[in-house]
Amino acid sequence: MTSHISGVVFWPVAAVALVALVMWVRQAVAAARLRRRLAATEQQVRDREADVRIREAEVAHLVDVRLPAVELGGRRPQQGLRDGRLAGTVYADRMDQVVSRFVGTVEKARVRADQSAKATLKAAMRSVQALANEQQLSISDMQDRHDSPYVLQDLMEIDHANSQFARRAQAIAVLCGSWPGRQRAASPLIDVLRGAKSRIRDYQRVEIGQGPDVDVISRAVEPVVLAVAELLDNATRHSQPNTSVEVSLRPAHNGTTIVIDDAGVGMDELEVSVAVERLGGGENLDINRLGDPPQFGFAVIGVLAARYGFSVSVDTRSPYGGVRAVLFLPKALLVASGTAAAPVAARAAAHRREAAQAELPVRTPVRGPAAVPAAAGHAAAAEPVHERAPGDDDVPETPITGATAGGLPKRRRREVSEQQFAARHARPAEPAGEDTGPIRTPYETASRMGAFARGTRSGRAESADDEGTTQE
Amino acid sequence: MTPPRKREQGLVRAYVVTDGRAHPTRNTLDIVSLVNAVPGRSPAGLTPERRAVMDLCRGGALSVAEVAGYLALPISVTKVLISDLIDSGHIIARAAIPKAQLPDVQLLQEVLDGLRARL
Repeated sequence: MTSHISGVVFWPVAAVALVALVMWVRQAVAAARLRRRLAATEQQVRDREADVRIREAEVAHLVDVRLPAVELGGRRPQQGLRDGRLAGTVYADRMDQVVSRFVGTVEKARVRADQSAKATLKAAMRSVQALANEQQLSISDMQDRHDSPYVLQDLMEIDHANSQFARRAQAIAVLCGSWPGRQRAASPLIDVLRGAKSRIRDYQRVEIGQGPDVDVISRAVEPVVLAVAELLDNATRHSQPNTSVEVSLRPAHNGTTIVIDDAGVGMDELEVSVAVERLGGGENLDINRLGDPPQFGFAVIGVLAARYGFSVSVDTRSPYGGVRAVLFLPKALLVASGTAAAPVAARAAAHRREAAQAELPVRTPVRGPAAVPAAAGHAAAAEPVHERAPGDDDVPETPITGATAGGLPKRRRREVSEQQFAARHARPAEPAGEDTGPIRTPYETASRMGAFARGTRSGRAESADDEGTTQE
Repeated sequence: MTPPRKREQGLVRAYVVTDGRAHPTRNTLDIVSLVNAVPGRSPAGLTPERRAVMDLCRGGALSVAEVAGYLALPISVTKVLISDLIDSGHIIARAAIPKAQLPDVQLLQEVLDGLRARL
């Protein structure tokens, strides 16, 4: 019975136990799965939190470091991501996009500011420049008009101040993208250097040596004058007032070198590097970064050098301890002296007599560079000579007074010889002849002058010849 | 006349030409004083303007005014240059030729009338 009962009890218990076991196992499995999922989720949450922290840190880094670095421009190196783990992610890409957009905006704003500053300065300086040029013209007129040395002295001072003032305005205008503002004829290199010397304060300390007799082409005269003036200004400004600044010219195969030596304080490495950077800066120079007070000198030279194709270096020391500035003018900016002169044959004919008398070289049609120096200087200066017919005998033939554009000799009518005649024998009467000249026909003038000259000559013949009382 | 190779006006200012001096070393020069180059003096070592004065004067006597005209320089500046050249012995100056005794205006007028009547 017991066994029967036990049998009866056992099976249901066993079944229940089995069910319970199965339930428990299932429960356990489910719990384990849940626990695993929980753990995974927790991990995920932790990861996400870490991620968020990294990204927050990254944003902070962007705001505090990367964007300010962009704002400061090229002076600080461009910053990358702070955390390497983000590299290559979409998030990092977006961050970079933000930075590049910001860079673009900053650049645009900078360019706009630069352009507007330059445009304003340029307009202002152009008007100042125009006034300075106008003033220079009136100073020149006054110098021509007044004979007194006292007036000349004062005018020279005004002129000197005006020239410096014009140079400043010109330099700033050039830096702002303007052209140098004056068109000049091709001029001898030595005059170009003296022109530069005219525009600085301590011009008397500048000593210009002898050099090759070449001309600077018309287009480059003003730029070279301005660049040399800036170099001379630096040289005189940074050396003691009792020292001199030496300018020497060295002919080279591909051009001519202008060497400017001062005995000043020189430049340290930092200054040299800034100078080199500005000299090589070319056109795209930010005028807002020239310091305070702005230092225009090297920047202007850099702009001019890039625009006109000469080169300047200041990174050597002069033998006197100061700076040696070297400006190299390539052949393209130079032209043999005196090539602007008119046709040769006509002039040669006109010059024959004077040339023989004054030992001036008669021009030959083809002149090598070697022949240029002596001949050009003389001939250029000597050209007016034939106009005044130096006093020997009567003029035997109609003098050639010049040449037409086509190379034919120009002759004057008879009245020239008569005038010369009159001028030689009755110098005081010359102005009278000139006064009446324009109103009457040449022939009329000639006959009158002739009559007058004959009369004066006969009168003079009686009085003693008083020419030849030397003053010295 | 066809102008010679023209020197660029206004490039080299007057104070550079005379090195800042406005007063000539002598006050005997007049605009009609005649200057002559001393033959055989070399213009070596002179500034371009002084050399140009020498070249101009080598052909014969020239007045100060003419020299100034050819050099396109103010007369007062030219005087400074010429005084320097006289001091250095490159140039000699002659006093201006004294004015001839001019016949009086009435006589000239009569001559003129006569000439007019004849021509």
